[in-house]
Amino acid sequence: MDKILRVNMSTGKTTTEPVPAPYAALGGRGLTSQVLLDEVPPDCEPLGPFNKLILAPGLLSGTSAPSSGRMSAGAKSPLTGGIKESNAGGIASQKIANLGYKAIIIEGKPAAGEQYLLKLTPGGVELLPAGDLAGKGGYETVALLKQRYGEKVGVVFVGPAGEMLMAGAGIGNNDPEGHAGRYAGRGGLGAVMGSKGLKAIVIDAPRTFDVPVKDKERFKTAAKKFADILHAHPVTGQALPAYGTNVLMNIINEAGTLPTRNFRRGRFDQANDVGGEKLAEACTARGGKATHACHPGCVMRCSNIFILPDGRSLGSLEYETAWGFGPNLEIADLDVIGELNYVCNDAGLDTIEAGCTLGVLMEAGVIPFGDGKAAVEALKEVGKGTPLGRIIGAGATFAGKVYGVTRIPSVKGQGIPAYDPRSCRGNGVTYATTPMGADHTAGYAVTANILKVGGDVCPITDEGQIELSRNLQIATAAVDATGLCLFVAFAVLDNPEGLPMIIEMLNAMYGLSLTADDVMALGRHILHTEKEFNTGAGFAKADDRLPEFFYNEELEPHQTRFALRDELDQVINF
Amino acid sequence: MPVEVRVFCGLESCIPGARSGEPMWVDIKAGESGRALLARLNIPEEKAFSFLVNGVRRDLTVGLADGDRVAVFPAVGGG
Repeated sequence: MDKILRVNMSTGKTTTEPVPAPYAALGGRGLTSQVLLDEVPPDCEPLGPFNKLILAPGLLSGTSAPSSGRMSAGAKSPLTGGIKESNAGGIASQKIANLGYKAIIIEGKPAAGEQYLLKLTPGGVELLPAGDLAGKGGYETVALLKQRYGEKVGVVFVGPAGEMLMAGAGIGNNDPEGHAGRYAGRGGLGAVMGSKGLKAIVIDAPRTFDVPVKDKERFKTAAKKFADILHAHPVTGQALPAYGTNVLMNIINEAGTLPTRNFRRGRFDQANDVGGEKLAEACTARGGKATHACHPGCVMRCSNIFILPDGRSLGSLEYETAWGFGPNLEIADLDVIGELNYVCNDAGLDTIEAGCTLGVLMEAGVIPFGDGKAAVEALKEVGKGTPLGRIIGAGATFAGKVYGVTRIPSVKGQGIPAYDPRSCRGNGVTYATTPMGADHTAGYAVTANILKVGGDVCPITDEGQIELSRNLQIATAAVDATGLCLFVAFAVLDNPEGLPMIIEMLNAMYGLSLTADDVMALGRHILHTEKEFNTGAGFAKADDRLPEFFYNEELEPHQTRFALRDELDQVINF
Repeated sequence: MPVEVRVFCGLESCIPGARSGEPMWVDIKAGESGRALLARLNIPEEKAFSFLVNGVRRDLTVGLADGDRVAVFPAVGGG
């Protein structure tokens, strides 16, 4: 990964540049956020020519490091108006890394209506006209491009939602079987890609694990030990492979913090009907897979393959999606949830934002709560670009304003994920304070709040939540730079050998002598970079708060309200 | 004295006829501990990583009351 590819969509010119020295030790989110601060005016129009879209594999992506195939996408977000990094599994990251690219920077803007395809091969780079792909859904786009360029290519794409510049649009890429379902979903980055006139990137790379490492033997030993650590932990070695991410549905429900009926209650009576155990059964019964790796070399294999009743293969159905279209809408049918997920994957829409938005529409009475058929019909409007479809595609905050809803679950304009902040308060602190807008992954306090991993902090009191969120936000920023899946944290938080083994892999690969302090310093640096960008974009303390109703309405069953306000200003205080 | 018990993620295999996540009413002695309840259900303590009573994590010494909602999980995580 010794070069950066720059694609100017105004001129159609592509250039390959050496990696500047200050970027050498950055990858993934660390690199996307740094390039944004260095090259993009924070006050720019997110869908205009001065915003840039940066794709970056992590520092360890494309090697034999287990579960290291995350790809970061970064840009100024049209949803939040601030800096955004969203990362995805799937097969693109390892391929980009194995072609030697540390980052791809998409800049400028073509004439209105022009659509392009970027093709990367070992032989070089081509920017090709792609008008024939305009308006095509995610599944068809991936299938066509595999047919055209080879069964094994990686495809990074936007659906019609991205082409139509909807602020809830994500950037997708394919899993090893070709499902168009691995999304860097959050923050509307699909709209940024759409604004650049870039429909897809095809990556044809013959290798997956062969990015050069300086000390091969030392790296191999560390990677093996790290895989052993993941296998040995009961979460990463047993629960995630067996039941997938949706294993969370029941424990979050039992803990009374499962947002139900647009965050009215903390429990859903039928949660078990849409939980991980039922999902695993359904995947197996229809000839899908309950255990599946979203990219080669993942040892946790928390993905799945869910087959819809008519035989269409969705790809993976994840917890956040099952929640957003399930309890959040009072829908208790996995097939309906799967259909809503399919519509999102095809239109190119973030499922969390779409779930929050449908919840807001139900709150407004546009669709009845629990009405799966009406939800599917409404969501299908997105791909057609009708007025209702554009309102849904614009996200929960916008939809709420259109319909006069005051109970909008969002922070900085981004919908709140699957843990109610009143009874999982560490995550409430993260939603309020991360530079990303409401993002559960940015400081996943569910670990210590609910799962008793990496500590034990009572979720329904305020004590310890600020520190918990701060420490997790720093560690997460660092993990997001490595390309490792964040789920390695379940094992790393509990095993004192975990972090040293990640550092050992980095040191062996790059010939460095990093310490744990250096890694935490990297995490802090990334957060500072992002805060600086957001300050330039106009964010202030008032933006680091939760919506009013979380402070005013009690959540059953624990009768909790969120209470932290000024204390939130101390989270990123370093 | 009845308590409402749910077990998850494979723990149902310890109890004949039990299904993951479906409520079972179990008759126990007043004030019986979580540990005694697990023994009654033949769930090995080391498998009961999370023991929740009325939505709050408790250790196994907790005394149970009439009608308590109990949930037992092995170690789980996701997101």
